[in-house]
Amino acid sequence: MAGGGGFVEAEAIIARIETKSTKIESLLKQYKPVEALKTALEGSPPKTLDERCKSANWIVVHRALMAIKDIEGMLNALDVEYYDILMKYLYRGLSTGDRPTCDQCLKIHEKLTERAGLGCILRCLTDTLNTV
Amino acid sequence: MAVVDVHRFAESITCHAWSPDHSMVAFCPNNNEVHIYKSSQDQWERLHVLEKHDQIVSGIDWSSKSNKIVTVSHDRNSYVWSLEGGEWVPTLVILRLNRAALCVQWSPKENKFAVGSGAKTVCICYYEQENNWWVSKLIRKRHESSVTNVAWHPNNILLATTSTDGKCRVFSTFIKGVDTKDSKAGSPAESKFGEQIIQLDLSYSWAFGVKWSPSGNTLAYVGHSSMIYFVDDVGPSPLAQSVAFRDLPLRDVLFISEKMVIGVGYDSNPMVFAADDTGIWSFIRYIGEKKEVSSGSSYSSQFSEAFTKFYGQSKATTANEASESSKSRGGVHDNCINSIVPLSKAGSPKVMRFSTSGLDGKIAIWDLESMQEELGHQF
Repeated sequence: MAGGGGFVEAEAIIARIETKSTKIESLLKQYKPVEALKTALEGSPPKTLDERCKSANWIVVHRALMAIKDIEGMLNALDVEYYDILMKYLYRGLSTGDRPTCDQCLKIHEKLTERAGLGCILRCLTDTLNTV
Repeated sequence: MAVVDVHRFAESITCHAWSPDHSMVAFCPNNNEVHIYKSSQDQWERLHVLEKHDQIVSGIDWSSKSNKIVTVSHDRNSYVWSLEGGEWVPTLVILRLNRAALCVQWSPKENKFAVGSGAKTVCICYYEQENNWWVSKLIRKRHESSVTNVAWHPNNILLATTSTDGKCRVFSTFIKGVDTKDSKAGSPAESKFGEQIIQLDLSYSWAFGVKWSPSGNTLAYVGHSSMIYFVDDVGPSPLAQSVAFRDLPLRDVLFISEKMVIGVGYDSNPMVFAADDTGIWSFIRYIGEKKEVSSGSSYSSQFSEAFTKFYGQSKATTANEASESSKSRGGVHDNCINSIVPLSKAGSPKVMRFSTSGLDGKIAIWDLESMQEELGHQF
């Protein structure tokens, strides 16, 4: 990425993620994990090449994901357009190898595949441009 | 079900094409030969074996007016076969390729044919009367990877191509001496051979199976990411739509009417897509089954085994009866369907019958006469 412009953009995105993070913390404290996840997934920056932005957003999404207890309810409340992005984050979670994260991600993966079908998984695998 | 006839011809079928009267079918049984079978009284008998290629025959097309078969193969060659005295006589076409040829299609007027290849080029071949041979002109520019499918626009000049670089492009293939400049249609500026009219960047992954609608107004192609793309008003300001669907990707599509498309692919069951009155395309149903209730997952036994293993890793796994219910996927085909060919008179706006062939070696003929009501008014 060209020096000046790209750098500033990345900083701006990270700043946005920080604000998102505080919002999510407060939502979690109010026992609204579904809202938290929605906020986390919204405005995911798939088009940035910057690894820091992606990692920063992943931490935020991870926090919200681990707080989810009622998976069915969460999927009911989530819009269809977020299924693909959620699936990408699930795979990122599974790749961490961390036991509790993987457990949670597997549980959500099972339910999400039932709803969204194999096409959703396909879209994650084939999309090498917009990775999370 | 809409299936009229199913027959297993070989282990696996790469591609197939029908004779002008639909009584004979030519296909490649996944080797270097082309077999021609004729159907008589419910029996299929093999009439000819065309053996000239050295490697897999990747594309076959049978012209309906001039009754010529064109075959292309991974051996970088193409032959045009004519029926002389009951035997098929090949004429070599020098394509000037240094990689495999992947697909072929006769143009609507049958005076040209287009070949897509792994050499990132498209060959447009036309017959030169003076020298009594087929000449090939190459479109070398633009493609960044193999050209997987080609489709001719009804005006015999525009050609749509899909490639493994994910893009769908439309080119002009105007050849002086072969095509006549139609002063009504299109602007003269686009009449240069090999000129790219439009490039569609809708897909992130490999693109396959492109087709034009009967009027030539709409273009449909599929991406390997389980998406199908529809483009209306192809030109300077196209209207593109991406439709994501639930299941495994498609490999080929067919317009059965101006507003309805059938897609076939890895799910072994043809899918119907239609545009509603506002022009929005969406998935309607599978041809074979009734409308499914969304909560039932219908994975085959192979998948359900894999899924139980996958989810068994997690400590608290609920017995997933839904995925255990191995509803067998293929009513007709057992494996990926990779080709769909219309069986109606060329140029007619509606396709009532079509055939599909796949990796399971079967060719199935489908008739939509009985399904007209179910398909609705778009058909």
